[in-house]
Amino acid sequence: MNLLDVSNLHASVETDDGPQPILKGLNLTVKAGEVHAIMGPNGSGKSTLANVLSGRPGYAVDGGEAMLGGKNLLDLEPFERAQIGMFLAFQYPVEIPGVSNMEFLKASIDSLARARGEEQPNTASFMRTVRELAGSLDLDPAFLKRGVNEGFSGGEKKRNEIMQLLLLNPKLALLDETDSGLDIDALKVVADGVNRYRSESNGVVLITHYQRLLDYIVPDYVHVLSNGQIIESGDKSLALELEAKGYAWLT
Amino acid sequence: MADLALPKTLLVPAGLAEGLSEPGVTIGDVVQGALNSPAHRERWKYTKADGFLTQLVAPAEAPQINGEQQSGVRWWRETISKSMPGLDLQQGPEAFARLCFAGEAMRLDITGSVTDPVTLIHRANTLPVIVNLSANASLTLIEMIEGDEGQQTVWIDIGPNAEVKHSRNALNAASSSWQYSSVRLQSSARYHLNNHVLGCGVRRQDLHIIMDGQGAEAKLVSAGVVDNKAALDQQITLEHRQPKGRSEQTIHNIVANGGKCTFNGRIHIHDGASGTDAQLSNKNLGMGDNATINTKPELEIYTDDVSCSHGATVGTLSQEALFYLTSRGIDKAAAEALLSQGFLRQCIDGPLAETALNTMIGARELGASL
Repeated sequence: MNLLDVSNLHASVETDDGPQPILKGLNLTVKAGEVHAIMGPNGSGKSTLANVLSGRPGYAVDGGEAMLGGKNLLDLEPFERAQIGMFLAFQYPVEIPGVSNMEFLKASIDSLARARGEEQPNTASFMRTVRELAGSLDLDPAFLKRGVNEGFSGGEKKRNEIMQLLLLNPKLALLDETDSGLDIDALKVVADGVNRYRSESNGVVLITHYQRLLDYIVPDYVHVLSNGQIIESGDKSLALELEAKGYAWLT
Repeated sequence: MADLALPKTLLVPAGLAEGLSEPGVTIGDVVQGALNSPAHRERWKYTKADGFLTQLVAPAEAPQINGEQQSGVRWWRETISKSMPGLDLQQGPEAFARLCFAGEAMRLDITGSVTDPVTLIHRANTLPVIVNLSANASLTLIEMIEGDEGQQTVWIDIGPNAEVKHSRNALNAASSSWQYSSVRLQSSARYHLNNHVLGCGVRRQDLHIIMDGQGAEAKLVSAGVVDNKAALDQQITLEHRQPKGRSEQTIHNIVANGGKCTFNGRIHIHDGASGTDAQLSNKNLGMGDNATINTKPELEIYTDDVSCSHGATVGTLSQEALFYLTSRGIDKAAAEALLSQGFLRQCIDGPLAETALNTMIGARELGASL
């Protein structure tokens, strides 16, 4: 069975001038064990795809389907999507002063466990797991007591997203320009985290502007998104070709 | 203020009337006159004064005190006299009246570094409390406001290079509750207030801070919840009278379900108070139905070379933050609860923090009913 099935997806973003159609019949299939990279020029709809699949407010689905593990994502609230295995690594992770990272992560893991009828981890072992994960991503465990993403550098915010990915271990990871704003060392740490997450039972959709990330996270498929549709698909060599030629030859 | 209901019969105590008016003048006359000034009319614009003024004549008892048996602490009861710091009619006419009606005050003198906190527990109308710190002294002052109704007036005078860490919980479900505090800082003195408050029938908190010496530092952090048709009116005046003072005020209030919250924060920087750094931030979170929020930060600056910022916001929970939390599997009600608690927690600190957190967050299941 396919992990993710997006078929003929039409979606628009709400603006002051009314809804603007962005996705115009997008198709994408991800099987377990696969990594798909989605590339494309600015405004092609890359982030809209991530936002619509994860249920961010401000977008309207105008047609089509998106199924995760056989369940219709588009009928679900964002928290329900997470509970059936969807994870979005944010392009701009949000700062939440007053809510500590540890408290947030515990609330998250408890909610997911409850929804799946699993036992909630005991606090001591949970905190140990989180501290180890943080250390493995070069995050100072002291940050766990601070507000969610509060005062983090851009790189720390992205590493925090990857830490959550490893902790929550979703079925599908959608990474929305996780590489943007990272220096090369941080990029390697992030890529290493994603590679640790990869397994035969989950899938990754990487949204990126640059081929660089794909040197470290090698995709099985590369897709080019333009004007709300996937216009070209190939293997990792397509990314190199895009890097060399730009998008103009396709669009 | 035409309907001011102060008794006219009680004369201003002998020795105090001098300079206020002709002999034989009543407290009611004097206070009513003072309250009719534009500044005091503004202070009482959003909350009816009558109830509080009527209560001024109610009998008062000494607050319970703990921690007064240490070296460097002296606590006694004293008949009012003109030298008492609270007897400044213009600064707080009602507080002046409270002193006059009570006829006596509790005195707390601190001479030295006092190690254990001094705790005042107010269960009803309490006698005015006058706190004096001599130079280099330090004190942790804790106030708990309890009981069904009551008025508390406290004057704190902090000597040169002395320090007060003041924590106050006003979390009682009173029909009417008023806390008037006046703080004067001499040179290099430091004052830090952690205030935690729940709205009640009518809750009024007045704070007047005077930076009266060079290099004084004041910090005010306050968290409030005004829910279920409760009311809270906070009036803060902070005067920088001398150079190089620093003040920082952060006030977060959640107003929900018919609650009414008023905040007025005035910073007055006098001529000559150069090098002043004054910051004020008041954030209000409106939740549920029919919350009323009035907020007015005010700056009056009469000198150059100052650094000031003041800001007030009225808003709802951040949709971005809500989406972030829910995208990790946390349902909407739990995410709202986390966010509203986080908003409060930023302003809950000090020795009373734990009680405050439990009461303020436990008093209502924040988010759950919204």
